[in-house]
Amino acid sequence: MGQNALKSDPWGNVHMAGLIQKVARFGLMLPVLAVVVACTSEAPISEGSSKVYRHVIDGAPRTLDPAQTNNVYARLLIPAVFETLYRYQYLARPYELTPSLALGLPEVSADGLTYEIRIRDDARFADSEFFENGQGRLLTASDVAWSLARLFDPATGSSVSWLLRDRIVGLESGRTYRPDELNVPGLEVIDSTTLRIHLNEPFPALVHTLARPQLSIVPHEVVDGLGPEFGLRPVGSGPFRLVEFNETGAVLVPNERFDRGVVDLAAEGYDPALHEAFGLAAIDGRPYPFLDRLEVQFISEASARWNSFRSRDGADIVMLPPELASSTISSRDPLTLQSEIAAQYHALAEPESGFIYYGMNLDHPQLGHHPDPTQETRNRELRCALGQSLDWERRNQQFYHGLGQRFAGVIPPFLPSWDDSVLSLPSGPELARERWEQAGWHAGNLPRLIYGHQAGVQPGQHFELFRANLIEAGYPSDRIEQRVYPTFADLLRGIHGSEVDVFLLGWTTAYPDAHYNLQLFYGPNASPGSNTARYSNPEFDAGFEQARRTIDDAERQARYRDLNQRLVDDCVIMGSIVRTRIHLWKRHLRMLPDREILGGFFLPFVDIEASAQP
Amino acid sequence: MGRYLLRRALGAIPLLVGVTLLSFIITQGLGTDPVWELAGRNPTSAEINELQAQLGRDRSWLMQYVDYLSGLPRLELGHSLMTGESVRSLLIRSVPVTLALMVPGLVIGIVLAMVLGYLAARWKGRGLDRLISSISTVGMSLSLVIVVMLCQMVFSVWLAWFPARGWSTETLYQWLLHVTVPTIIVIMINLGHNVRFFRGLWVEGLNLPAVQSARAFGLPEVSIFRRRLLPWAIGPIMTRLVFAIPILLFSGSLVIESHFGIPGVGRVFYNAILSGDQPVVLAVVALASVLVVVALTIVDASVRWFDPRVRLS
Repeated sequence: MGQNALKSDPWGNVHMAGLIQKVARFGLMLPVLAVVVACTSEAPISEGSSKVYRHVIDGAPRTLDPAQTNNVYARLLIPAVFETLYRYQYLARPYELTPSLALGLPEVSADGLTYEIRIRDDARFADSEFFENGQGRLLTASDVAWSLARLFDPATGSSVSWLLRDRIVGLESGRTYRPDELNVPGLEVIDSTTLRIHLNEPFPALVHTLARPQLSIVPHEVVDGLGPEFGLRPVGSGPFRLVEFNETGAVLVPNERFDRGVVDLAAEGYDPALHEAFGLAAIDGRPYPFLDRLEVQFISEASARWNSFRSRDGADIVMLPPELASSTISSRDPLTLQSEIAAQYHALAEPESGFIYYGMNLDHPQLGHHPDPTQETRNRELRCALGQSLDWERRNQQFYHGLGQRFAGVIPPFLPSWDDSVLSLPSGPELARERWEQAGWHAGNLPRLIYGHQAGVQPGQHFELFRANLIEAGYPSDRIEQRVYPTFADLLRGIHGSEVDVFLLGWTTAYPDAHYNLQLFYGPNASPGSNTARYSNPEFDAGFEQARRTIDDAERQARYRDLNQRLVDDCVIMGSIVRTRIHLWKRHLRMLPDREILGGFFLPFVDIEASAQP
Repeated sequence: MGRYLLRRALGAIPLLVGVTLLSFIITQGLGTDPVWELAGRNPTSAEINELQAQLGRDRSWLMQYVDYLSGLPRLELGHSLMTGESVRSLLIRSVPVTLALMVPGLVIGIVLAMVLGYLAARWKGRGLDRLISSISTVGMSLSLVIVVMLCQMVFSVWLAWFPARGWSTETLYQWLLHVTVPTIIVIMINLGHNVRFFRGLWVEGLNLPAVQSARAFGLPEVSIFRRRLLPWAIGPIMTRLVFAIPILLFSGSLVIESHFGIPGVGRVFYNAILSGDQPVVLAVVALASVLVVVALTIVDASVRWFDPRVRLS
């Protein structure tokens, strides 16, 4: 056939040339069509008059299976799809617990070992092909028990089982937990709406733990039916139903089975003085959720996030990236935005529920623990001196808008056990040098320090500043080395493998109880656990165990303060700083965003003023 | 032809084994250990070991590789370690997106470069040639990231003509809306190199005796281009076009997909490399190898088909 075509063609290849011409014509038509499209489009991706809210976050969750969730991005989306027994009030700060699937707070026995929880009898899972007739069924106490137990089933591959590790009687790793025969004495299903939890020892932070999105309630039929893909097509009883989820974003629509009556703003912590300006009064007494469609975009590039926010149909909210602070903030004290920005958008500046600190490898013989008490003391002095050499003000200006809040230890100001009398050591290069010299350290014997960080511009700048501070104090520059890891997971592997001596880490406090932060230094949590410093102090461990089971709130907070003071005195970390996050959102939205302890629980309350919609 | 294609297909097997083996060794030995991505922030040693066993990483790498190879003929590519998604469905949903995203820019860019290259070659050494060559040099100097940010800002923020983000192929209108800015970017980024390539090609072509004779006989310029130059240049054009597809698909699309939030395979591949998601990395590498072999075969076959000299030799 090819031969015939060639024979009939005096020029040999005219047919191919014709094909290329057609392709060329089609190709040249595309830009013309595109211009026509651009000129005729008034609202390119608008959904008409429906209420569409476009949220943006700076990373993507890898899965939406609550049991496998270990980042802030998933914690935004999971409360939209699933429900927990408890949650935090929408507007109350400090954060206040409120029942979600539970009916009221639990009845706790006098010894603090038994929690009886009544569960709503009207909560239903969203529809799914894996339910009978495809219709969402009622959520029961058995679902709650199984959802907690599956965290410990190896088949689940949970990354969050540690939240309940050693807490509930009979709930342990390495077992298969079938929904019809759990056999966990600590999870006693009394009837379809009552669950009794028996603890190994008192754990006052249990209710906070049960409010974590990771402990959301999931339907076993769908988990079994979808297998490893449950995290991609999750089904829960939350206010929204997931219709699309990939590496660039997620789309959710209201869950028709969700009915929690109307918003009671007073019960959500509404304060007119704080919240009236955001138009929140308008949602009071109305059934929720209010949105017809919720789109969450995952954008890791700061410039792309900002462009999306500034474009007509892009994101409705943005967390101000530090590199744009100079062009949007006119004054830091008091915090004032430039007039153009302030006129266009609502703004909220709030401290993060976490902190940044420099950790150290305390297995290092010249930096950490040592069997010889004299050397142990010298090492502690060196750690303190290193901490004193750091210029936190400069870090604050350079990396955190100049709005970060410095504090000592691991109990930041937003926690009830914060103690303003615990002070950071005075800093400065002279003070640092004097301190290590007094302990017998000098240029000849100061140890080699390997600073590990993830690849990237900002982590690299952090290292440069760290090195500059130490050199300024007199630390030999050839003894400060840099080791770069391609990803955060690689850095963690390096830290746990004792490949690095110093590292900058952030820790997000999941609930407003210092237990969550102090466990970072609890001996049994040592590497590969969260105690990345490998801090080992039997007195601290005993104090921590005692504090975490102390039922009396005031007494427990006092114990936490003592433990924090011990960490500060021992110079276990160099730090710390709480960043201030600045959220900007478009004025037609009625909402108060949160990416901290409340996280995605604010999404059901987001409303849009239709008449003001651009 | 059938025998030729069969020979090609058989020849592709060692290539496929080679690149997957190399990728396997690299991801296994030097890549990110997915265990630390999956373990959370407070695992015990027992949980780490359990995860290693679940991922099969407690076995020798050779055994793991043999397992992988045995699934390949049946297209059993496993599940993503990070998301749990079947790798096959992941590729099925992401590869067409990248093709729909990148091919318009590639085709228009090549056509535009052919035209500009021809104009520069036809008036070689004149003002037009110098202007086009300067544009080409500027094009080659542009950073992709800068062009992406600039185009996003101009077309989506300032002019507000196109969405800053997202992807839809539900209708032609939606597709054009989302593909236009990325297409402009692809053209801008590749134009410099392409114009340079085609200028050189046409300069050589315009000096062919057949072209010189046609011009001496007073044939129109369009006719000379269509009937003499284009057939002569089919081989290089096809090579440029077909080989660009696998490259654009798996590397060139990443930045555009990231900035515009487009769920294509470039982004999938990048995420997989960063998280040590070996099944996805190996599947994409295998697919890229297959595409390269297919591209090579298409180019060779089309050149054999259209160029009697190759066929006769």
